[in-house]
Amino acid sequence: QALPNRSGPSAILVSPRQKGNPILNNVRSLPWEYSDIPADFVLGATTCCLFLSLKYHRLHPEYIYNRIRNLGHLYNLRVLLTMVDITNHEEPLKELSKTSMVNNLTLILCWSAQEAGRYLELYKSYEHASPTSIKAHQSTSYRDKLVEFVTTPRSINTTDATSLISAFGSIRAAVNARPEEIGMIPGWGEKKVQRWCQTVDEPFRVRK
Amino acid sequence: MMRNLFLRKPSLWPRFHVTVAKSLEGRKKAEVIELEVPMTDGMRDIQNAVLECVEVSIGELRKADTGLELDDWTLDSALHRSFDVIIRRQLDPIWHRVSFRTRQIVNDLTVLRSILQALLTYDAVSFNKYLDTILAAHQPPPGSTRQNQSPWLFLDAANTVFETAKRRVYSGKPTEGEVPASANAFPDSLRPILEEQPKWSLLAEVLEEIEQDNYLNPVPRDDSNSTILIMCSDQGTCRQLREYLQNMHVHPAEDLQEEDDEERKPSAMFMMRRKLRNYLGWKKDFARVSASLFAENQKVLDGFTDQRGNTNGYRGKGPPNKRRRIRGGASSAGAGRPINGSLQMAEDKESQVASLMADIQPTDADAMQKDEVAVDSLDDMEDYFELYDMNDLLVIHPYDGDMDEHVLEEVRPRYVIMYEPDAAFIRRVEVYRSSHEDRNVRVYFMYYGGSVEEQRYLSAVRKEKDAFTKLIKEKGNMALTITLDGAAPTDPQEQFLRTVNTRIAGGGRLAATAEPPRVVVDVREFRSSLPSLLHGRSMVVIPCMLTVGDYVLTPTICIERKSVRDLISSFKNGRLFNQAETMLQYYKHPMLLIEFDRDKSFTLDPFADNSFEKSIKSAEDSRDLQSKIVLLTIAFPRLKIIWSSSPYQTAEIFAELKNKQDEPDPVKAVQVGLGMGEDPYEQQSFNTTPQDMLRAVPGLTGKNMMRLILEVGDLREVSNLGEAELDEMVGREAGRQVYRFFNRSVFDE
Repeated sequence: QALPNRSGPSAILVSPRQKGNPILNNVRSLPWEYSDIPADFVLGATTCCLFLSLKYHRLHPEYIYNRIRNLGHLYNLRVLLTMVDITNHEEPLKELSKTSMVNNLTLILCWSAQEAGRYLELYKSYEHASPTSIKAHQSTSYRDKLVEFVTTPRSINTTDATSLISAFGSIRAAVNARPEEIGMIPGWGEKKVQRWCQTVDEPFRVRK
Repeated sequence: MMRNLFLRKPSLWPRFHVTVAKSLEGRKKAEVIELEVPMTDGMRDIQNAVLECVEVSIGELRKADTGLELDDWTLDSALHRSFDVIIRRQLDPIWHRVSFRTRQIVNDLTVLRSILQALLTYDAVSFNKYLDTILAAHQPPPGSTRQNQSPWLFLDAANTVFETAKRRVYSGKPTEGEVPASANAFPDSLRPILEEQPKWSLLAEVLEEIEQDNYLNPVPRDDSNSTILIMCSDQGTCRQLREYLQNMHVHPAEDLQEEDDEERKPSAMFMMRRKLRNYLGWKKDFARVSASLFAENQKVLDGFTDQRGNTNGYRGKGPPNKRRRIRGGASSAGAGRPINGSLQMAEDKESQVASLMADIQPTDADAMQKDEVAVDSLDDMEDYFELYDMNDLLVIHPYDGDMDEHVLEEVRPRYVIMYEPDAAFIRRVEVYRSSHEDRNVRVYFMYYGGSVEEQRYLSAVRKEKDAFTKLIKEKGNMALTITLDGAAPTDPQEQFLRTVNTRIAGGGRLAATAEPPRVVVDVREFRSSLPSLLHGRSMVVIPCMLTVGDYVLTPTICIERKSVRDLISSFKNGRLFNQAETMLQYYKHPMLLIEFDRDKSFTLDPFADNSFEKSIKSAEDSRDLQSKIVLLTIAFPRLKIIWSSSPYQTAEIFAELKNKQDEPDPVKAVQVGLGMGEDPYEQQSFNTTPQDMLRAVPGLTGKNMMRLILEVGDLREVSNLGEAELDEMVGREAGRQVYRFFNRSVFDE
């Protein structure tokens, strides 16, 4: 999944126009350097980032559009990192949503300089990471699987899962158990029993 | 509210109003007998200890400083019924921001509260069993370095809880390490105690009294059919009482010498002994279960596959050498664990050994009794719904809200025994009594003195009174609203709609199309408020079964809506990744809508509980939301993200996005993502919960799971499938995994 080694600088490239931006102070764990680039930050071979503070946007609404125009169609992933530092953010955000669609930008909101710095670091450090951690996560051990299985219906917790399995021995037996039998397990009140049995009996498809 | 009901003048009839009081009293003064049952020492100890745990947990929460009003979170409110729910509700707006630890403490509070409840309702043996389960479930997985054990488990008080609970069942437990050897030599140092719930004997007394009363001075026949109605809080208690009443005159006759002299006294001895036997058997299994579940790598207990076949109860008749083997296995399991965090566990193992010792004593002793009665009574337990014919005079029923009235009407009891206090039911009895002048009702009312139960009841009564007082005051200084007539309120709304309509239509849309704007919405989305808001903005909402996306705004824009909670969970189970993948496949502008709730905070930044934690977090924690979003956008550069602070805002954004765009084609939207030959109208909607459960089953992935869902009716059927059938449907390897998942017995490992 990770793109084959394209050479890219190991540091975050920062446009000189961002000099003095407080978020630079929050980029601590990765090196960064000034460079002459059309975007504000370059976070990887195909990733760039424009930074916009809503406060500034309110004063100079045309600024971001100029920047986007100058950016042209460069880069594959174009992040518009927006700092929400005003309270009535609805209107500008609506506008930016539209803009991001038209201009192929990915809108990311942050609420503090710290968070913004963290986003920059994350983008850089995950440049070559594969998205395994957000793919269907496979817990390996039988116990985890089991607990996950049993606790899927609402209001059933890990304790209940343990007691259920220890009472019936296997999931198959637990699934086939009658409500009265399940009700005898300590901790399983009527609501839980009902919910469990209902889920187990519920057909996968709703018949119309 | 009054305006919506079109009420002019509310009138309140509190029960302390003179007329009401008089009519409720009726002509006959009713007999209410309050019985305060003292708790046993053990129970009181446990209760105090649990309350201490609650207090400490609350203290922890306060320390965590999540910016909440914590002033009213005191021990007093801990007695309140929905205490943990209140906290949860308070935390809800910022739930995605509070730290793991805070969340855990809130969970702990729920557990503690259920312990309190269980203490009063369960019998000693089940209570101990419940505690064991809780303890096991809270064990950290072996080898984990994370300090994620619940804080209250480390308290002395928690220890007291577990110790006392155990002592209520049996005593003479070998105290420390060197004792097991001697305990082995003198196995009868373990003695079952089997403390009974104090209410039981009281109940028996009351019943006897009623019987005598009936016999000595028979009341002239009246309308009520001399039934005794026992009300208790839930089915579980019902069953417990029923079992008790059935068995209270059965005695383990010849075996226990101390029992002989008080032969006539009703006792729960028999029932408790049976329970203990079951418990010990269970405990033995449970040791094995927890060994196989919680320390999977240690397959030490593998020689035990026999003996469990016999049907009723997991009666352990293992010969001594086998017991010794278990013990060795158990202690080695204890030793293999990291010592620091699991002091509790090691001790528990030790005591499990002890309980195994105790095991053989009662089993052999009343083996005969058991064989006589066990089959019978087990049958009773199975279909206890048919038990009514056993004794016409006695009905045990749980509180069931409004249904109680019908129960009273149907049963027409002469005697009502309230096994647990319930303020609402008392009111119902009052009404029942006064509406049937000719019926005699005598109410017995039981509660544990000085217990949470009593507190809870008193506070319920107080709250009732307060509520009325407040209503009366409110009524006194309420401004009278006079609406002109019924038509008025609807009018402005229509007007509003009309203005919206013209505004959108006038804004350049006329050039594009004359149709009203249209949005295709997945039917499952109708649970959220967004579709109706879209409708409110005079868009035409077309409900469809969408396979891809939740909303289709234009032929190219498809939107997947996620609330913050959904977002977290669907990152966790990887669903979002798949959804994004399919959206990208079919639409030019796939979008992820992250929707915050209106009254929840509009930020993802987690609270820094303290500076220490913060520094750790930024260093190592790669699992938080932000990094996942980053990963997602890196994986799918074309996926756009919309951030919306509320559904209203979302509707606005949708309108903006749709501006000057073509309208979506619902037929095409439905067909997108369906395979060839799949008829969209054949496709029916699915129930999500069973599907989510299937997703947790190993070996099942998107494709073969779909197959399984289409072929098989429900989860139960899946679990009963043979390996060969599964083979056919999901493939060899997956089939094997699924089969093993369902059929693996935790006892065997």
